[in-house]
Amino acid sequence: MSLSDAQAAGMAPASMLANTCNACHGPNGSTYGPATPSIAGTNADYIADTMKAYKSGERKSTIMGRIAKGYTDDEIMAIAKHFAGQKLMRQVEQKTDDKLAMKGQELSRKYCQDCHEKDGYTGIDYPALAGQPVPYLSYQLADFLSGSRNIEENPAMSAKEKRKKIRNLTDLEKAEGDAGFQAIINFYGSRK
Amino acid sequence: MTNKTLNRRAFLGATGAAVAAGAVAGTPFVARAAGGKVVIVGGGVGGATTARYLKLADPNIDVTLIEPLATYHTCFMSNEVLGGERSLDQIAVSYDGLKKMGVKVVQDMATGIDAGAKTVATKSSGTFAYDRCVVAPGISFKLPQADGVSMAMFDQVPHAWKAGPQTALLRKQLEAMNDGGTVCIVAPPNPFRCPPGPYERASLIAHYLKHHKPKSKVVIVDTKDKFSKQGLFTQAWKRLYGFGTDNAMIEWIPAAKAQDLVKIVPGQVKTDFVDLKADVINYIPPQVAGQIAFDAGLANDKGWCPVNKQTFESSVHKNIHVLGDASVAAAMPKSGYSANSQGKVTAVAIASAFAGSEVPTPSYVNTCYSIAGTDYGFSVAAVYRYDAAKNMIAGVKGAGGLTPGDASAEDLKREVQYAYSWYDNIVKDIWG
Repeated sequence: MSLSDAQAAGMAPASMLANTCNACHGPNGSTYGPATPSIAGTNADYIADTMKAYKSGERKSTIMGRIAKGYTDDEIMAIAKHFAGQKLMRQVEQKTDDKLAMKGQELSRKYCQDCHEKDGYTGIDYPALAGQPVPYLSYQLADFLSGSRNIEENPAMSAKEKRKKIRNLTDLEKAEGDAGFQAIINFYGSRK
Repeated sequence: MTNKTLNRRAFLGATGAAVAAGAVAGTPFVARAAGGKVVIVGGGVGGATTARYLKLADPNIDVTLIEPLATYHTCFMSNEVLGGERSLDQIAVSYDGLKKMGVKVVQDMATGIDAGAKTVATKSSGTFAYDRCVVAPGISFKLPQADGVSMAMFDQVPHAWKAGPQTALLRKQLEAMNDGGTVCIVAPPNPFRCPPGPYERASLIAHYLKHHKPKSKVVIVDTKDKFSKQGLFTQAWKRLYGFGTDNAMIEWIPAAKAQDLVKIVPGQVKTDFVDLKADVINYIPPQVAGQIAFDAGLANDKGWCPVNKQTFESSVHKNIHVLGDASVAAAMPKSGYSANSQGKVTAVAIASAFAGSEVPTPSYVNTCYSIAGTDYGFSVAAVYRYDAAKNMIAGVKGAGGLTPGDASAEDLKREVQYAYSWYDNIVKDIWG
């Protein structure tokens, strides 16, 4: 949708829509923490898929479901493209354990980087994990493990991606247990 | 002089003529080169957000912010200061971030606005000319004619509804109170700043008492018979503070019992039906727009400022915008997030006017967290659209709303962490 199309439809401009997100997600979508994730520099389709999953209730949330329902799919795509175009600033001040983080890097390269490439720094295809708030990383892993974030039912993932993600999480849990997850959270959380 | 220069001058002249013709024909905004002069009265959430987003929209816009305080204390999270969970310094913000962006911050009190001459007068820094003025004065108190209620009273009976020294005073009184004491919060009538605020305050004071003075209690003498997030607060109070039992640490006396007129006698809160001995009294007064809004003739007979809700331009005076708590912006509540959202809409409206472009469709959001105790938070959210025909801001149907009553303990815990994130991020979004 071009700018003139948007105006003809009476739609607010992308920056107008997206700026309302900044007060929770940080200026231009880069968070100062301690828990709300950064959304800057994330693949637009990934943001849009996530917002639609919140909107439909397919992805559970505390507050995002209520907010996502306020936007049309066109508005969601405009917001997503806006944040995809912002530079991600890793500026959360958080304490992490260096030794755990080193172990986490090793584990992440084995279990995570098939998708979250370059030590979790790139947000080109999958969301960037490097520098995200530790509580947020913990919440998401906990939700994957409990099944409240159900990978099987994620319409944005291919069958192959689902198999890979479920296998990696299961293998990691079997081999390393909770300590393995803590190490990986420390690794991504420690990245600047 | 070259031909090129001549051509350029001729072009500018022609543009100027077109603008003049447009203005005569009723073009809503006078087109001009980028830039323009904006004077903002008030460096709270609404004023500071507008300043920052004007500079982001166009660094050439000349922005002057007039604010009497060198250090601002956010009202949000000030209840955590009362509960002892946060220091006063942790809710202090400076204007350095705005200064770095090129905002001229004048530490002074605005004393008057001349809408005809387009100037703002100050107490000691002279007069400032503007193309657009932004008035974001927050609230002032409208004290009822009742025994013991006066502005002088606040030195002993704090309102703590503007954060800073008043917050420190109330905290000091809570610390000095003996175990077994009673804290009385007198909650104001609608509309007022931060609708869930008095009830979050009761919760966090009870949280402090529970851990330090467990024989004490908080009594809310209300001037209303219902309040914001009531179901969620009362559920939290039952779970955390024995609400409704003989050992309740929070009691709520609704308007039906309290009546409108609350009298304050030293150590005592009285209404027609209530005579309550209290060791600490927090009197939150009835509210209207900040004083300057009245001095400038911007307020209606109810004490709030009517505006065009697409631009927040005053319905009374052209080229003056009023936003935040002082404005009539229903259905948006008088919250920090609302003022922040309105500041962005106002900045876009002013920048568009300066650029001579059409004011785009606005978009507004409110997100408001309340913390009721350890690992216990909840929220209300809304996404709003502008209804041009009715000049109304209306919540999108089916969206927004409250944390569900059956939210898990894990979700209530996460909402506290998201509330803290809300704080850290909105402060950066407002003051840089």
